[in-house]
Amino acid sequence: MANTMTQRVPTSSSVPNPDALATLRPPLIAGDKQPADVTHDICAPFERGPTALWWVAFAVSFTTLVIGAIAVTYQIATGIGTWGLNRTVGWAFDITNFVFWVGIGHAGTLISAVLFLFRQKWRTSVNRSAEAMTLFAVMCAGLFPIIHMGRPWLAFWMMPYPNTRGPLWVNFKSPLLWDVFAISTYLLISAVFWYVGLVPDLATIRDRSPAGWRRRLASIFSLGWNGSARTWHRYETVYMLLAGLATPLVFSVHTIVSMDFATAVIPGWHTTIFPPYFVAGAIFSGLAMVLTLMLIARKVMQLEDYITLRHVEAMCKLMLSMGCIVGLAYGTEFFVAAYSGNPYEQFVFLNRAGGPFRWAYWTMVTCNVIIPQLLWLRGVRRNIALVFAISIVVNIGMWFERFVIIVTSLHRDFLPSSWADYSPTIIEVATLLGSFGLFFSCFLLFCRFIPVIAMAEVKGVLKSPHHAHEHESVKGDAA
Amino acid sequence: MAAKFMPPPIAPFVTTRDVFLAAMTKQRSEFRPSETKPHSLVRRGGNQVAPAEAAALSRRQFLEAAGFTISLAAFGGCGRAPVDHAFPAPAMPAGTIPGQLRSYASTCTGCSAACGLLVGTRDGRPLKMEGLPEHPLSQGGLCAVGQALPIGLYDRQRFAEPLQNGKPAEWTTIDHEIVQGLDRIKSQQKAVRVVTSTVTSPTLRARIAAFVKQFPDGRHVVFDPNSSSAILDAHQQTHGARVLPHYHFDRATTVVSFGADFLGTWISPVEFTAGWSSRRAPQANKPEMSHHVQFESRMSLTGSNADRRYAIHPSQQGPLVGRLAEIVATLAGKPLPEKPVANMDGKFDQQLAELAERLWHERGRGLVVCDSQEVGVQRYVNYINHLLGNYGTTLDLERPSRQRQGNDRDIESLVEELSAGQIGALFVADVDLLHALANRPGLADAVDRVPLSISFAPRGDEFTTHAKYVCPDHHPLESWSDAEPISGLMSLGQPTLQPLGNTRAMMESLATWMGQPTTTLAALQAYWKDSVFPRRPSSASASFADFWDVALRSGFVEVTPEPVKINEFNATSLKPLMPTTAADGFTIVLYNKIGMPDARHAHNPWLQELPDPVTKVTWGNYVCVSPADADRLQINDGDVIAVSVGKDAPQLELPALVQVGQHEGTLAIARGYGVKGTDRFAKVGPQWIGANPTVVDGELVGVNAAVFQEFRSGMLRYERSGATVAKTGKHRALAATQKYNSLELPSNVAPHGAEHRDVIQRTTLAAFAKDPHAGAAEHHATDTQLWPEDHPKTGHAWGMVIDLNKCTGCSACVIACQAENNIPVVGYDEVRRQREMHWLRIDRYYDQVSENVDVAHQPMMCQHCDNAPCETVCPALATVHSSEGLNEQVYNRCVGTRYCANNCPYKVRRFNWFAYPHPDLRQNLVLNPEVTVRSRGVMEKCSMCVQRIEAGRIAARTQGVPMADGMVQTACQQSCPADAILFGDMNDPRSAISAALKNPRRYRVLEELNVRPSVSYLRVVRNRDEEARRG
Repeated sequence: MANTMTQRVPTSSSVPNPDALATLRPPLIAGDKQPADVTHDICAPFERGPTALWWVAFAVSFTTLVIGAIAVTYQIATGIGTWGLNRTVGWAFDITNFVFWVGIGHAGTLISAVLFLFRQKWRTSVNRSAEAMTLFAVMCAGLFPIIHMGRPWLAFWMMPYPNTRGPLWVNFKSPLLWDVFAISTYLLISAVFWYVGLVPDLATIRDRSPAGWRRRLASIFSLGWNGSARTWHRYETVYMLLAGLATPLVFSVHTIVSMDFATAVIPGWHTTIFPPYFVAGAIFSGLAMVLTLMLIARKVMQLEDYITLRHVEAMCKLMLSMGCIVGLAYGTEFFVAAYSGNPYEQFVFLNRAGGPFRWAYWTMVTCNVIIPQLLWLRGVRRNIALVFAISIVVNIGMWFERFVIIVTSLHRDFLPSSWADYSPTIIEVATLLGSFGLFFSCFLLFCRFIPVIAMAEVKGVLKSPHHAHEHESVKGDAA
Repeated sequence: MAAKFMPPPIAPFVTTRDVFLAAMTKQRSEFRPSETKPHSLVRRGGNQVAPAEAAALSRRQFLEAAGFTISLAAFGGCGRAPVDHAFPAPAMPAGTIPGQLRSYASTCTGCSAACGLLVGTRDGRPLKMEGLPEHPLSQGGLCAVGQALPIGLYDRQRFAEPLQNGKPAEWTTIDHEIVQGLDRIKSQQKAVRVVTSTVTSPTLRARIAAFVKQFPDGRHVVFDPNSSSAILDAHQQTHGARVLPHYHFDRATTVVSFGADFLGTWISPVEFTAGWSSRRAPQANKPEMSHHVQFESRMSLTGSNADRRYAIHPSQQGPLVGRLAEIVATLAGKPLPEKPVANMDGKFDQQLAELAERLWHERGRGLVVCDSQEVGVQRYVNYINHLLGNYGTTLDLERPSRQRQGNDRDIESLVEELSAGQIGALFVADVDLLHALANRPGLADAVDRVPLSISFAPRGDEFTTHAKYVCPDHHPLESWSDAEPISGLMSLGQPTLQPLGNTRAMMESLATWMGQPTTTLAALQAYWKDSVFPRRPSSASASFADFWDVALRSGFVEVTPEPVKINEFNATSLKPLMPTTAADGFTIVLYNKIGMPDARHAHNPWLQELPDPVTKVTWGNYVCVSPADADRLQINDGDVIAVSVGKDAPQLELPALVQVGQHEGTLAIARGYGVKGTDRFAKVGPQWIGANPTVVDGELVGVNAAVFQEFRSGMLRYERSGATVAKTGKHRALAATQKYNSLELPSNVAPHGAEHRDVIQRTTLAAFAKDPHAGAAEHHATDTQLWPEDHPKTGHAWGMVIDLNKCTGCSACVIACQAENNIPVVGYDEVRRQREMHWLRIDRYYDQVSENVDVAHQPMMCQHCDNAPCETVCPALATVHSSEGLNEQVYNRCVGTRYCANNCPYKVRRFNWFAYPHPDLRQNLVLNPEVTVRSRGVMEKCSMCVQRIEAGRIAARTQGVPMADGMVQTACQQSCPADAILFGDMNDPRSAISAALKNPRRYRVLEELNVRPSVSYLRVVRNRDEEARRG
């Protein structure tokens, strides 16, 4: 890892750091950047043409997206029967994917809003891409509740609005309706938060771009930003407010998603532990996905100076702590089942660990609880390759967590006569792949057209001694 | 995208298809021989059972008039293009209410049991078969096969024209040629054989007798593919009359059955179920019920309901009967001069001794039955019943049954004659000779050599491809008929619509060829006037017209039986049984499934998709293997195995099913499959990229197991020893509706102390006598509600009580529900994927108690919970609670999230994964217009026949009276042969259901969840002495 660092240190800035404290706490941004360097480095990727690597990545993602789109089109044209569901297992890949993608989004909000409120300066390098990830993940998530319907063309019946269909209204008792509100709110707030944070950078793009479509678009969307103190003041206020608004969503959205299960009577679903368990799981999976993307972006976009090992380590620690909470939740579920004396509950958990889907359960435990324990070791946290591998493993594990919760609870419930198996069809697998295609296509387009790192915020945390004071006061972080 | 649907016509419409067909039939009738003129089908008024006012114009007349008018007005010059539009009837005939259900009493022809039928018609279309409540045999019950009749009526693959050498021809041409041919045969003195299955119709029997009498060597050969010939022959030898006793299970307190599946397929299952179940309801103050012991080698439905069931090897059956006879004879003080069996292992000696003791104690109230096709064994059965004094009480020879008349000796000689080329003319009706006698390979060639071969089959089968002429008979719902299932019980069958094709009743065909053309109605009336009317009860009218009308209105009439000469029991006929040599290898046991009693029903998609009550497998047959053999041979469910007998003898490849309760060394295979033409079902069900065809290319639904039959000492034997089994390495997953078969949880994941689920509560009679609440689950259930009752049900509160002790699992209700509620057929692949659509299923659980298996059946449908978990979770409010306690599904509001189904603890909700149109669009005519046809993507489930509740409400309102108890019957309840289902208003303190709710045996499934279901069950009580843990 030391190699990766030294490789990227530009020769011009190889001045020995006189600050003694800096050796104790390394700077957030390496390479002794000046603000102009920041702008230059971050704008570089989209000002020059796309790299071959980008094209390859985009081609793969887009192909997957097209495959998914074909699968979904076929499914909507033919029927839900093209999925492997049955009379007993009414949800499987569809809602697993939904919960998975919603969960992914949570880390973005956590990083951008919660860490902002807690004045965690290291977030500045990752918050933009994390927010973008949130947005795309929620888009992917929102797709599944619609396509999983038997009659998706009537999805608008989920919306409570005065209508001409008689006195028909929605069922406010249904958690699925709460989902509609939760997800749409989340999407809206995330989009606004992301966009507001983007405004100063859009202004930078506007100012740097030659006349053309990019400057025109940037000038429209930068909303007349002029960099004045007043503009900054308004911006800071709005950003703070939105952060305050977004923070509860980190907890509420997945709480509500968990209620899809918690309010049901099905053993394995009917559990009061679900809201905190789901929130922790969501953040866990989200952090893993942020790490995955960050490490890719760091390499592909050559942003090693901005996304440093310190960032990676901080993310790893956060992920480890969430992983432990999730592990505790797994244990608690078993304890509650044993302690409750509810035979149905007990059976469901024994069946998870020892039944036909035990492979899924133990995959989940291995990926989410056992492997992340490696992150206790500093050496592992600082090994980019290992961290990347662990982040992938956690992503897989968290997908399986939702699969385990949904499928193993349903497939053997109360009446043994109705017990059933489940295996996905090719259409379902293609739909899952397609959602990844959609996600990565969006993310790659984002990398291509929008600064992946919040320039304005990063400039605020530069450790250059002669600029530090000025920027800190501007950024308001130091206040 | 979505396949085309033909929506059911809404009430005030008559489909032009009907009207048009009727009109076309009328127009074409001019070309018909005179005896089929439609006037023969015009019935006199007053023949409907419903207490409706007499119609000024009968429905049939109306149809004719309407058809004629419309055809003139709209289609005068048109061809025969199918018409898919619906038009209102131009003139409303007086007394006719379009869309109103009209029921006509008739007789079921699904099998030879001839149960009473109530044909429900709407707008001239027979739609729903129900049991005739007043019928003395079936008592309102009707089996799955009877319920499934109407979909066969609308089958486009029925012959619409007579065929001559496989090509459509005119009746006149065919008649001319046949008459010429018969004249030739008469002059050549060649043999004429009319082969039918049991003919319960005395008129047709007389007609056939008259027909064959014209020829020097004419005979009527009765061939039952599911024969009881040995019982008849045994009675000839022991009682001097070749008759089948009329069994009275309702009078039997101890029933011993050796292999006879009397609740499933044996002789008259609906009647026997009604009788048997009438003794299966112990009361708290009168803890009595019958004791039923079954000895059998495969797991039959009857065995699954027995108090004691012993798995035996088929070769043990005879010796066990003989041994029982020996013990009973000793008890009776008339020891047998010769031991019936020379050497016996004495394995069941103690059980037989106890059984004999019990039978002896209950002399005259016991009943021993046996399905053996060995006359010697049946003689001992007769002897046992004779010694016990059961003749005259539980077995009636004075009024014998005519439900099985087959004579296997005649069949064997027919086969010899055919092979020898001695037959001049062969007439075959009701049975596919070549399919049912597949054990005689050269038979088809022999048939080809017969100069004149005529089939009356309604659709193509193996015989029709070899027959010179096919003279298709009407569908029973298009035709007049009569029946005498029990001597002295005469019943009538009446047509309910114009024949859809240019078909002709067999009776009319025979009459035409005899040169005495007549109509079926005229023939029936003539016969009844001469032979039935004189035997009328003294209370009957002296006018034949009135007598006829009464019989037609009620569907049946009881008259003085024809005397039968019964001799004293001839004990000298008893001869020791041939010692059974234990042959190497497996013994194949051939049986019939409840849904497929014979091959005639193979074209019925409802029956093909009916889960077998025991195995729960749909679509096709399979070979049942005992668990021990499966273990030994490493056979799993669905492994295709090759079964063969001998070296060059037939070999069949079919999937295996490991059947608990089956005796080691036996293989059980269902007959009635592998029927020609069933490849039509290849495309049944949704067609999509992942779909597996219901019928594999070039194959049929199942295989014909009749190849393993053999004639032995004059009897067609349904078992065959010396079979070998080989694995083929192929696999064809069985389409079973139930994957996990026990209430015991899998041992590796069962929580300690909760290994068993009390979904079916059971007790024994001994425990019940001590405590009527015995067997109740220990729940912590309380009826405490978190919220006040803010939706009190002040009016009706509909509910259901199902007596699990009466329910045999026969699955008649499953088809009743399917017919009533327009439930689609989804095909093999969808069932395999656990996506069957039946709203009502019957859960079947095995419980291994030591080496015996306890089986329990539980009808399961929407429980209409008061705290319904499905209702709260639907985001669109598509499932809501009615003020009368019904859980209602609003199809057009449903968006298909399936959350309700996930949250249903009973898993009774069914989702429309695809659009499921009928592959044969004409079969849309069977749709019940009262029930919406669901589209793709919506959830559906049992509605407790809400359309019937509303019909009852409307009827009550019209009459200005409150809805009386029993006025509304759900489809499942109406047809239940065991009378196990009770529906009613739980708010009405005088209703039958209110009384049933107080039954100490009553419990609710998953009561501890506090979902408060409206469906209750009555606990199973097994008549056993020990007070077992769970019965």
